[in-house]
Amino acid sequence: MWKRLLLIRGTELAVLAMLAAIPLVVNNSYVLGLITLLAIYGILLIGLDVTVGYLGQVNLAQAAFLGLGAYAAGLSVAHLEFGMLASLAMGFGVGLVFGTVLAFPALRLEGPQFALATLSFSALSATTLNEWEGLTLGAQGLQVSRPPFLGMTLDAPGFFWLCLLLLALVWIGMRNLLSSQWGRAFEALRDSPVATDAMGVGTYRHKVAGFALASGLGGLAGGLYAFNFQYLQPQSFGWDLMVILLLGVVLGGRKSLWGALVGASLIALLPNLLSNRGLFQLISAAGLIIAVAAGTRGLLKKTAGPFRALAPVVAMGVLVAGSFVVENTEDWRKAIFALMLFAVVVGLPEGLMGFAAHFLARLFRIAPPPLPAPAPLDDVLPKRTVDGSVLLELRGLERYFGGVKAVDGISMTVRAGEIHGLIGPNGSGKSTAVNVISGLYTPTGGDILLRGKALPAGSLFKVARSGVARTFQNLQLFGELSALDNVMVALKDVYRSPLPLVLLGLARAEENRARAAALALLELVGLGEQARSRAKDLTYGDQRLLEIARALARKPELLILDEPAAGLAHPDVNKLLGIIKLIHERGISIILIEHHMDVISELCSVVTVLDGGRIIAAGTAEQIKRDPKVIEAYLGATDGVAPAPAA
Amino acid sequence: MLTVENLHAGYGTSEVLAGVSLQVKAGTVVALIGANGAGKTTGMRAISGMIRPNRGRVLLDGRPVQDLDASRVARLGMAHSPEGRKVFGPLTVEDNLLLGAYCRLPRFFGFRARAAADLEGIYALFPRLRERRQQAAGTLSGGEQQMLAIGRALMAKPKVMLLDEPSMGLAPVIVQEVFNTIRRLKEAGITLLLVEQFAKSALEVADYAYVMDRGRIAIEGTPAHLREDERVLAAYLG
Amino acid sequence: MYTLLIVQLAVSGALMGMVYALVAYGFQLTFATSKSINFGQGELVMLSALFSLTLIDTGLPYWLVVPGGMLFGAALGLFVERAGVRLALEQKSEGWILLTIILGLLGFSTAENIWGRDDRPFPTPIPSDPLHFFGIDVTPLELSVAVGVLTVMGLVELFKRKTLLGKAFEAVSADRDAAQLMGISATRTIQLSYGLSGLVAAMAGILVAPITTVGPTMASVLVLKAFSVAVVAGLDSGFGVVLVGLFLGALESLTSFYLGSGWREAPGLVLLILALAVRPNGVFGKATIRKV
Repeated sequence: MWKRLLLIRGTELAVLAMLAAIPLVVNNSYVLGLITLLAIYGILLIGLDVTVGYLGQVNLAQAAFLGLGAYAAGLSVAHLEFGMLASLAMGFGVGLVFGTVLAFPALRLEGPQFALATLSFSALSATTLNEWEGLTLGAQGLQVSRPPFLGMTLDAPGFFWLCLLLLALVWIGMRNLLSSQWGRAFEALRDSPVATDAMGVGTYRHKVAGFALASGLGGLAGGLYAFNFQYLQPQSFGWDLMVILLLGVVLGGRKSLWGALVGASLIALLPNLLSNRGLFQLISAAGLIIAVAAGTRGLLKKTAGPFRALAPVVAMGVLVAGSFVVENTEDWRKAIFALMLFAVVVGLPEGLMGFAAHFLARLFRIAPPPLPAPAPLDDVLPKRTVDGSVLLELRGLERYFGGVKAVDGISMTVRAGEIHGLIGPNGSGKSTAVNVISGLYTPTGGDILLRGKALPAGSLFKVARSGVARTFQNLQLFGELSALDNVMVALKDVYRSPLPLVLLGLARAEENRARAAALALLELVGLGEQARSRAKDLTYGDQRLLEIARALARKPELLILDEPAAGLAHPDVNKLLGIIKLIHERGISIILIEHHMDVISELCSVVTVLDGGRIIAAGTAEQIKRDPKVIEAYLGATDGVAPAPAA
Repeated sequence: MLTVENLHAGYGTSEVLAGVSLQVKAGTVVALIGANGAGKTTGMRAISGMIRPNRGRVLLDGRPVQDLDASRVARLGMAHSPEGRKVFGPLTVEDNLLLGAYCRLPRFFGFRARAAADLEGIYALFPRLRERRQQAAGTLSGGEQQMLAIGRALMAKPKVMLLDEPSMGLAPVIVQEVFNTIRRLKEAGITLLLVEQFAKSALEVADYAYVMDRGRIAIEGTPAHLREDERVLAAYLG
Repeated sequence: MYTLLIVQLAVSGALMGMVYALVAYGFQLTFATSKSINFGQGELVMLSALFSLTLIDTGLPYWLVVPGGMLFGAALGLFVERAGVRLALEQKSEGWILLTIILGLLGFSTAENIWGRDDRPFPTPIPSDPLHFFGIDVTPLELSVAVGVLTVMGLVELFKRKTLLGKAFEAVSADRDAAQLMGISATRTIQLSYGLSGLVAAMAGILVAPITTVGPTMASVLVLKAFSVAVVAGLDSGFGVVLVGLFLGALESLTSFYLGSGWREAPGLVLLILALAVRPNGVFGKATIRKV
């Protein structure tokens, strides 16, 4: 515990102290300019990493937010006579507001459309800065004076320390945020947006918040940028800068504060390194050696195919050749960046810090902090009293896909406290029905009522918030998160601290309560020992159980289990039966989709049988088993088949 | 015609197939039955190259194909009609059928003339498809889509045809029609590997059958032999 | 008189909009097969135009320059697919976004250094003396753009509908796994789509070059508008791009008349962000079904 704190916090403090001491030791305005830029880029890249790393979306607007923040801060000094802090806050605020405005439409999109939306926003902001000459003076540029800081005039070292202080604050705030429920939600929605919604976390609003925060940091960095250079031109915040920023994040390593810092120092230093030919030759040669080494290693260990091993070598080879042939490296700056980025993205996708982290983890084996004792199950999953009243009612539910009627008019009732079996041959519409109930699909027709009130149609998130939880037949776990984190993401009624407290790191108690509650649920399904394993490293059977634990974290009134026994070996099926009984004893009503008749007859008080999207029988398990229609549907009626008609 | 030896395959870290061996002789219909999640569909996917097996061999007409991409395997004469039918929804019925014969038709012009006779054959087998030849495949009913999927696989004139759960999601009366079709394919001498959840119907048409359980072949034998074996029904009904 | 001026502006704008439509069409081609697009398409347009200019300088006749430039574009498209897209698609990651941006940057820098940073005129045999239709002036050059765009798009559509290879192309777009089972190689088809997309982009470059002049930055704005057109129309919507392209071109020409030429780009960008807010799958696009 102590060793861990000492190492991690100690390294952070040491680096901070070292940076802070530089102006005292070196009295050189060039060096000072470099490290000031480093601190500013640090803030900018930490912000960019929220979208590119944690949310996993290619964000092409961060340079634009830097520009908007810079102009906002500069103009508020010029026209509103703001002080340093107020104008920096202005920069942050402008980034935050524009970030939110852009996020609402843009984050409904995935992948390329999102990248396009941010790209268009950058172009739009560049146009505006250029053309609104009355305010920004357009292409001729804007002079900015550095305002006083709390009444003091800051000299160059003073301004550097201010930048460093802000970087440290942003660092601490982000660390707190990312290790809280927010950080988990960011990672969860990258692994499975569907499950994030189904766990009531709300993909969309987390994305919007994350993006707005990232943009705010961009704006803050912009304010510092303005007061550092004291001269602004719209074209400084264009495409070139954006590519360099991406280079920083990718080269440093995504999803890592340290990665952002390393990336920031590289992009602050790189232009200067490239202008010196000898140094440039050295760097590209080193790059080539790394590429060859990494490529050979990848080929030998079979972690990389031929393309992934060779392409970076070719790229770095071209770079080395270029460093000797080309007359003026400055002319080829973009090509040089492009080749380096290409080699990193293809050959070292985890970036420098991701690469180094493997070795560091091996060098310093630090025990993770101990887990708290599990909370009592009665607190986590209070017993519900059940009265057998109508819980869920389907009336004429329909869902068509083109000409295929997957669900074709289903009416059924689930009473509180029952385990309601839903069976039928493959493709009979069970899963589709459940997907409609849980909000993944909008029904083509019909009504779904929960306790007499219409359930929100077509929204996983809203249905999850109404007290219905589900598991997925094709597992939708958050693969990169630990088993414990998977459950914690979904946990309901624990996280109440507002964002500012989280940022200040004052939500620890809540975090501990959550951990204890999640552990209790893991123990319920028998995964207490595996709490720290990554979900994707669990065995298939354990992954199925983890899905159940995660759904229980919603404290649901109705739990939908979609083929929980599919692919399980026999002992695991027995374990599963026990767990479902335990859950049922706590008063949770269950809809169970199953194929195994023995599971159904052991657990279910009521069974509904579907075939071809319609209900063909309903009753107790015993009645169902004797129903001729059911036997026919399951075994296929081969008796009495007419002989093949002549073609 | 098709030999599978000790096939292991799965998704990510989980191994679904734990050593499956089976054989389909030319001109026979072989059924692969078993409970849900036993690995039947995964087996089909591994045989046709949709997923790469971790271990084991697949021999098509004596030639190992386990390391080939699905499109290569198809060109060597294996037609796989996948689970869930997977017709090309936006394309017309006729285009779907023509694409079934993609491997043996000219790529640019004259393919329609070349395929005309085979199309006629399919339309004779499934008159309903002829009526809907210009309709988008996605608008067909489930049963018609299944006919189309079978027809599309037949267009390839395959050495061996894999048919995965042709009865899935269909009303019982349509299921009977599907099995009638399979019977006719058998009469026409098509080599067929059939995955079915309706064990009884599958055993009626098959010459030989394998029962899968948890990624392995649990029992095999002729249908008559299997029907006598109590374990089969027990394993299937669960 | 005033209305006539408006119509005149709208018409010449709309004709330019056809070029956006053509580049946008190139995005649709690759998006259909692989759900990916080349973010460096603008550089591809520019490089093909510069290459064609070099062909003209060597004295090649115009009717040979056009196919030459298009082949060059197709080759670049194939290169982008191989170097920037295939690996990411195999890993099912979105790395292709970054990689195509990177390749574009490389192309840009190469063009700057080989052909220089200045804009140069692009000679063409097509006359630019205006013709009069109902009081509106249209130059044959502008008309050639419209005709060229429609011809290329028509030919590609014919290929997709009338040849088996084209149908295979559509099959891969509809269901990649099933197409593989028919013996259609998805990798080859995606490669083909990038080749076609490069070809189409090169044609756009050659058509627009005589009007805009040729230089490294010639397409950076053009491609932004093509993005807008593609997204507003829907990345999977076929001829919707033509309508949106015409509309955007006209709108833009009027905007620059009323607000000043600096704001030219604004309507496209605003349109794009609005379209995303209201109809994320495009005006003519289809909603996608989430699968679990």
